Amino acid sequence: MSGHIERPRTTCALGGAITTLSLLPGVIPVTHSAIGCGGNLYGAIATCAGNLGEGTIGGSHIPSSAIGERDVVFGGVDRLEEELRATKEIMDGKLVVVATGCMTEMIGDDVQGVVRELEEDDIDVIAISTASFKGDAYRGYEIALDGIFNRYLPATKEKKQKLLNIFGIVPGFDPFFRGDLEEIRRLLKKIGFEVNTFFTGDQTFENITSAPEASYNLLFSSVWGRELVETFEERHGTPYGIYDLPIGAVATEEFLRRIGTELAVDQELLEKVIQEENNHYYSYFLRAADIIANGQYFYYAEIIANSNYAIPLQKFVSEELGWHADDIFVTDILKEEKANALRKHFEESDVQGELLFESGTSEIGRLIAKRHPRNQGQRYFDSDTPLFLLGSGIDKYTASELGAQTLAVSYPVSNRLICSKGYAGFEGGLHLLEDIISVLVAGK
Amino acid sequence: MAKKLTQIAIYGKGGIGKSTTTSNLTAALSKMGFKVMQFGCDPKSDSTNTLRSGQYIPTVLDTLREKGSVKASDVIFEGFNGIYCVEAGGPQPGVGCAGRGIISSVELFKQQHVFEELDLDYVIYDVLGDVVCGGFATPIREGIAEHVFTVSSSDFMSVYASNNLFKGIKKYSNTGGALLGGVIGNSVTEKYSRDILDDFAERTKTQIMEYVPRSITVTQSELQGKTTIEAAPDSEQASVYRRLAQRIVDHHESSVPSPMEQDELRKWAASWSDQLLELESGVVIGGNRAGI
Repeated sequence: MSGHIERPRTTCALGGAITTLSLLPGVIPVTHSAIGCGGNLYGAIATCAGNLGEGTIGGSHIPSSAIGERDVVFGGVDRLEEELRATKEIMDGKLVVVATGCMTEMIGDDVQGVVRELEEDDIDVIAISTASFKGDAYRGYEIALDGIFNRYLPATKEKKQKLLNIFGIVPGFDPFFRGDLEEIRRLLKKIGFEVNTFFTGDQTFENITSAPEASYNLLFSSVWGRELVETFEERHGTPYGIYDLPIGAVATEEFLRRIGTELAVDQELLEKVIQEENNHYYSYFLRAADIIANGQYFYYAEIIANSNYAIPLQKFVSEELGWHADDIFVTDILKEEKANALRKHFEESDVQGELLFESGTSEIGRLIAKRHPRNQGQRYFDSDTPLFLLGSGIDKYTASELGAQTLAVSYPVSNRLICSKGYAGFEGGLHLLEDIISVLVAGK
Repeated sequence: MAKKLTQIAIYGKGGIGKSTTTSNLTAALSKMGFKVMQFGCDPKSDSTNTLRSGQYIPTVLDTLREKGSVKASDVIFEGFNGIYCVEAGGPQPGVGCAGRGIISSVELFKQQHVFEELDLDYVIYDVLGDVVCGGFATPIREGIAEHVFTVSSSDFMSVYASNNLFKGIKKYSNTGGALLGGVIGNSVTEKYSRDILDDFAERTKTQIMEYVPRSITVTQSELQGKTTIEAAPDSEQASVYRRLAQRIVDHHESSVPSPMEQDELRKWAASWSDQLLELESGVVIGGNRAGI
C-alpha cells in the first residue's frame, strides 16, 4: 500500500510489544534497539493510551541495550548481554523478554544466541523479534504473546475444565482494556468460570504459567491474535472462540448465551445471571432514557475506531441508543487478508452501515463531510445532523470543523484518564452511555 | 589555490584481482609524482598489503572498537613511495554490519578534512565488489568519488558483478553520485576474453581502460609482499599498469552506463557461450564475432 500515514493511531511493533510486556505481571521487557526507541515510544504509550502511565517497568523505565553506531558496525550482542545481566541483577521479575528494534534486526544480531547463553541463570530470558517492519503495535502484541504462550511456556495437555484465557484485547491500544477485561471476567465468573485476564491488577505470573491449562480461549478480535490462538491450540490443545467485545445489555446477553451453548453452562444459572444483569442494567438505563428522550439526544453517529472496537461501538449506538450510524471507520492499518476477515465478519453479523478502512485523520474528516453534506443555505435541506463522532482524541479537530460532538474512546486518547473504566459488558454499556450523554449535557 | 583532489572508486567481484590492480595503479600514480592515498573498503582489510611489504595495518574500525573514537592520523600508514594507506576494516564475519562500517570510516575521514590537509592528488577507494548493501555504495554516493572503475575478467560472474555495479551507478547518477569511468580488464590474455569485455563495454555504453594480462610477475611480486611496480619496475606487466595509470590521469569525463537487464544479460551470456563452444569444437556456425 502506498500513500502516507497522517496522525498515526498506532506505533511500531516494538511499541505494541513493550506495552503488552510491561503490563504482564512478573515480566520484564528489555529493548535491544537504538537509544531513541524506548524514549520515543514513551509518549505514545504513557500518555496516548488514556494516560496509562509507565508503571514499575514501562515507558522510560524499560531497560534497553541502547545501541549506538559502534554496536551497529560490530554487532550489538555483547552490549545486550551486559544489559541483560545487569537487568537480572537489579530488576525483580520472573521472565525477561528481549524485544528487538529495527537496527538490531537489520544487522542480524544473534539475539537468540545471547538468550540461550543465559538459560542457566535464575530468571528465564526469551527474545522476540519486533522490528517495525514486522508490523505495527497490534502485531507487536501478537508477537509478544506468541513468544510467551507458544514458545516459552511448556506444552501441556492437562486441562482445568473451568479455566478460561482472554486474548485479543490489546493493552493500551484498546485504551479501556483493563475495565473491559475486569467486566468480562466478572460475568464469566458468575456463570462458573475462572478467568486469566493477564493484564488486570489482580493477576500474577502464575496466571501466565497456568494459561496452557485453560480449557478454552476467548479471542475478542476478528483480526488480532488469530494466529496466536491457533498456535496455542496446536501446542496446548486448547480450542478457541472468536467474539466481538460485547458492549451494553443486548450484545452482552447475546454473548453470554453463545458462551452458555459453546461451553455447556448450566441453563438455569445462565438465565438467572442474565436476568440479574439485565435488571441491574435497565434500572439505570430507564432513568437515563428520560433524559435522552426529553433532550432529544438522537444523533447521527460516526464510528472511528480500531478493528476490535468499531463494530461493537456501532452495535451499541444503534441497538442501545437507537442512533443512526452509517459509517464505521476502521482505523488500524490492515493487510488485505486481515481486512477481508473483518469484512467477512461484518457481513455475517447483523450490523447496519458501511465498513470503511481509513487511517488518515484528515481523510476521515473529508469522507464524513462528503458523505453527509451540510446545509449550504438551502431552504429545505435534509441534513444528517446532529452529528456525533465516537472516535479518538485526534478526531476533535474534525468534530470542530463539522460542528459535531465527540468523545474519545479509541487510541490515541490523551484527553482522558482511564483507570478501571471499561465499556464492555453490562457495566461497560452503562459507562459508555454515561460518557456519551455527558458530552451532550456538558454545556448545560 | 589548492590543487584539485580526484577521488576514484574501484569495484570488482571478490577475487578478481581488484586489490592487486588498485595497488599497482596507486604505486604507478605515486611514481608519476602524485600524492596518493589508497583506502581499502573491504572487511578483509588486505587491500594495501602489497604497498606495505605484506604487513597488515590497524583498521579504522578496529581502532574505533578499541578506543571509542578515532583520529584519522592514527589509522593512516605510509607505504611504498610515501603512499598513504588506510583500511576501513569491518566486524567479524557473520556479525554486525560491514556496510555501516564503510559508511562510518568514510564519514570519519570526510569530517576530519584529512584529504585537504594531506594535500592529496588522488584518493583511490578499493571496494568490495558485489555491492551487497547501501554501505558498499558509499563511495559512489554523496559526492565522495568522482569516477568509478570496475575491474573485471571475462568470466560471467565477474561481468555480472560489474553490470550490478553499473545499476548502482545509474541509480545514484541523478543525485550527484559518481559516474562510470570504464572497465579495467583483468586476466585478459586470450583474444576471446578481450572480445567479450569489448562487447560488454559496447552494450553498456562504457569503455575499456586497459587490458591487464595474467602474469607470473604479479604473483612473484605479491609473494614478496610487493606491487609489480615496486618489485619488477622494468617488466612488461609494470608498463601495463603505468599505461593504465596514465589513462586514468588523462581521464576527466565519466558517464552514466546502460546496464543490461537480467534477461538481456543472460541471453548475452548464452550467445557468448555458443560462440566459445564453436571456438573449442572448431565448428563455426554463424558469425565470426569470436574472431575466428
